[in-house]
Amino acid sequence: MAAFGSFALLIALALAAYNLLAGALALRLIATGQPTAVSPERLADTARRAGIAGFWAVTAAAFALVWSVFTNDFSITYILEHSNRALPAAYKFSALWSGQEGSLLLWAWLLAAYGFVLRLTHKNDVKLYAYAGAILAGIQFFFLLLLNFAAPPFALLKGAVPDDGAGLNPLLQYPEMVIHPPMLYLGYVGFSVPFAFALGALMMRYPGEKWIRITRVWTMVTWLFLTCGVFLGMHWAYAVLGWGGYWSWDPVEIASLMPWLTGTAFLHSVMMQEKKGMMKSWNIWLIFSTFLLTILGTMLTRGGLVSSVHAFAESPIGYWFMVFMVIVLAVCIFTYILQYSHLKSERQIESVVSRESAFLFNNLVLIAACFVILWGALFPVLSEYFAGNKVTFDAAWYNRIAVPIGLFLLFLAGVGPLLPWRSTSLRSIRRNFVLPVVALWATVAVCLLAGVRPWHDGLFDQGRFYALVAFALAAGVLTAIGSEFLRGMLVIAKQSGRNLIWAKYQLIRRNTRRYGGYIVHVGVVIVVIGLAGAAFNRSAESEMALHDKLVIGPYTLECAGFTQDANANYDSEYALLDVSRGGKKLFQMTPEKRVYLASQQPQTMVAIHSTVTGWDLYVVYEGVNPDTGQPIIKAFLNPLVNWIWLGVLVMALGTLIALVPKQWSVNSGQ
Amino acid sequence: MTQTLGFIAGLLLLIALLVYTFWPENVFASQKEKTRLDYLLERKEQLNENLRDLNFEFRAGKYPEEDFQAQRVQLENETAQLSAEIESL
Repeated sequence: MAAFGSFALLIALALAAYNLLAGALALRLIATGQPTAVSPERLADTARRAGIAGFWAVTAAAFALVWSVFTNDFSITYILEHSNRALPAAYKFSALWSGQEGSLLLWAWLLAAYGFVLRLTHKNDVKLYAYAGAILAGIQFFFLLLLNFAAPPFALLKGAVPDDGAGLNPLLQYPEMVIHPPMLYLGYVGFSVPFAFALGALMMRYPGEKWIRITRVWTMVTWLFLTCGVFLGMHWAYAVLGWGGYWSWDPVEIASLMPWLTGTAFLHSVMMQEKKGMMKSWNIWLIFSTFLLTILGTMLTRGGLVSSVHAFAESPIGYWFMVFMVIVLAVCIFTYILQYSHLKSERQIESVVSRESAFLFNNLVLIAACFVILWGALFPVLSEYFAGNKVTFDAAWYNRIAVPIGLFLLFLAGVGPLLPWRSTSLRSIRRNFVLPVVALWATVAVCLLAGVRPWHDGLFDQGRFYALVAFALAAGVLTAIGSEFLRGMLVIAKQSGRNLIWAKYQLIRRNTRRYGGYIVHVGVVIVVIGLAGAAFNRSAESEMALHDKLVIGPYTLECAGFTQDANANYDSEYALLDVSRGGKKLFQMTPEKRVYLASQQPQTMVAIHSTVTGWDLYVVYEGVNPDTGQPIIKAFLNPLVNWIWLGVLVMALGTLIALVPKQWSVNSGQ
Repeated sequence: MTQTLGFIAGLLLLIALLVYTFWPENVFASQKEKTRLDYLLERKEQLNENLRDLNFEFRAGKYPEEDFQAQRVQLENETAQLSAEIESL
């Protein structure tokens, strides 16, 4: 299979090169109208077909690697280093993305799959799709170059082939790891498509804004995948890493967050261009930046420039990414300068208090957040280069900056929908803002009365202060969104004489994008409430012998024993902890410590008990204290964590609704 | 799978993909330029959508009467200008 896989990758490289060159030549010939022996349109069609054929070639290579994992072909170095015979079948798939070469192959395959869909749907706008297809082929060519020459996944082992492999990294042997990386990659790689459309539209001086509608749909799909990928990663970190949290500002997390921020900014500002013909240059650069940030993030984490707890092996491919990024940036700048006159805005913002301004502020804040995070990620590299010592920022530094920015964004999410386009009168502001402001202050009062106060033990507590602000803003935003829905529903119900539930359905159906967007905002609010809960986290740690007790919040954990287990893949030790509340036994928790046999690496398996109200009892078996011989148990009581996962589901639902084409209804009052 | 079999399978894949790519098709999508009229019709559709949104938001009580009238007149003027240019084409 190694020979077949390598051959397939070479074929894919040749096809990508042909797609790029023939596609570019055909577009040039069509633009100049030069007479040629072969019809340029026929040439363009062969380029498109080469792109489709390239997808099958990369699929064949990916299949060859998966086949080699399942057949335990340890003559392939990659399989030897990332799999073993006893590895469960689901995790054998994970081996595909557990290392540098495999994850690059997954990247190339997903890019080919996106390109496959794009090329099959080319009749939407043949010329624009031809440009986008050629640009995607250029990106694909780079990744296939890497796979063929810098990080070949089918490299063969020199010498005798061992009977078993080194096994999969224990951190990846968790159910979510079967879906988290592909989701994240679908998001990451997917931004290549909006980039290709944006660059293509700029190159061809696309008349009108239809290209941006096409791009928006692709961006929403990509954004949805990236959002799910980021949050699945958070859930994985929470459930596997055993430190009680879900976000640590690790470089890999930062690398995924930066394009998410700029992609989010684009999804907002794109409305300005579609509706008003404004912010054309801004939108182009948002898409360019989003794509470049995916490359930069990959370069930072893959090239070993910054260290990460879950970065892939450090290798020289960082330089490949650097060169690629410089080339892409140069192409973007050159095209932008050449076509600058095509990007003039058709109008200006008329009032600071308008929906246009809210979108602009939203964009500026998102970009500011992105730059701050980027600065934090790059500072260790820059400080080492210029001062000779690596200075890194800790999570507290990021939180100090990101939390106020996030709260301001939440504020804008509430204000934006209430502001009309163009300009707003004082009467209009009074009319629209009364209810949300009342809800905001009522929540402050209720929180203070309920004991959610910005001080703790008589001292000001910044975390609790931000939590209070978050709860209050959340109430304001939810009221604002609720009032938007209610107003629309009442209009439709009045016009049609039907009930409010039907009116709600019609309201969403007639403008899926707007109301789907509002549902996404509701999801964001729920996530923020969940994040704010971290201000009230509690933890306790103790060595626990048989029948020892550990008290955390209202719960008492009593050690009922320790036991061991083994299977072909790992040995494990469990703690059996009886959990009671108010003297009544509720359930048993079994935090676990595993040692994987192939790699001889230990791994913590956290025990989590979640309640409907959002409290997580999170227990870690940290192993045995070598000095005392006693097992160590660490427990956390984390409020509102479930809200985060619930919020993501709501965000996903809202995005899916926004993707449905809208339908103007005769009965909806239009 | 031996190395030879791998190469044979690779060759078969290559032949299949080359045949697919260069198969002489007589029908392929035309790369026609978008006309000014296409562009104006798209713009008009967008302006109509903006007008529908404005009307709906007014009925929903989001705009006071004078704000609504001012914005509606602006949008209707823009639509009228576009319609005139479309008719002239």
